[in-house]
Amino acid sequence: MINEKTVELSLPNVVGYERIAMGCSETFAKNLGFKRERIDDLKTAVAEACLNAMKHGNKGQTDARVIVVMNYDDDSFQVEVWDKGEGISQFPNDPDIDRIVNNLDPVFGFGLFLIKNLVDKVEFNKIDSQGHVVKMVIKKK
Amino acid sequence: MEHPNGIILENHATVTLIKIQGDITAFSESFLNEAYQKANQEGTNRFLLQFEPDAYINSGGIAVLIQLLALAQKNDQRIGITGLSEHFKKIFNMVGITKFAKIYDDTEQAIEAMLG
Repeated sequence: MINEKTVELSLPNVVGYERIAMGCSETFAKNLGFKRERIDDLKTAVAEACLNAMKHGNKGQTDARVIVVMNYDDDSFQVEVWDKGEGISQFPNDPDIDRIVNNLDPVFGFGLFLIKNLVDKVEFNKIDSQGHVVKMVIKKK
Repeated sequence: MEHPNGIILENHATVTLIKIQGDITAFSESFLNEAYQKANQEGTNRFLLQFEPDAYINSGGIAVLIQLLALAQKNDQRIGITGLSEHFKKIFNMVGITKFAKIYDDTEQAIEAMLG
């Protein structure tokens, strides 16, 4: 994926640094002519993927890094978020707020839910030598 | 990296306006719980949460808000929300928060509606 258009960030594995990736993706997409609504979708998806990588992938280890790779083609923006984890063995069901509010389900799974609903395509892949990657595509529309 | 939270409570007859300053993340849990307890002490059962339009709200913050909605539901209290950007109005609708809290476009309109 890396080419002359690629931007790559290496973030500390500390919650809060996802905002650096949000700001960078916002500037990048804005320069490419994305509309505000799509930029906001992108920022939230990037933030949630980074948070998952920090908390679940790298398990909060402060010496680990989260790598964010951004690229684009004619009508879409692609983001990869890498961590050193094993990935998701079993995807949780979408959160059911009725059950949560009535204390029948734990408050869980909103990050993945937002990613799936805000981007046009998402893949989760474990690559043995490199770790786990979430690949997201968001179209200009 | 976190924008620290602040809170201002205002009573408007039977509605307590809770002005929330700063971002809403998992780190906001104790702050929001404290805000809810303080609002409870005002003796009203209608709470209007006013967010800053540029607030950063992530999945951790959404989880905290849903826990607060669960408490309000249990205590038979009504919650309204105002101040959200269009993006977060969409997100709150997407996750189902709007089943338990009505979103208003502006604070004055919200107070009027909640008093009615």
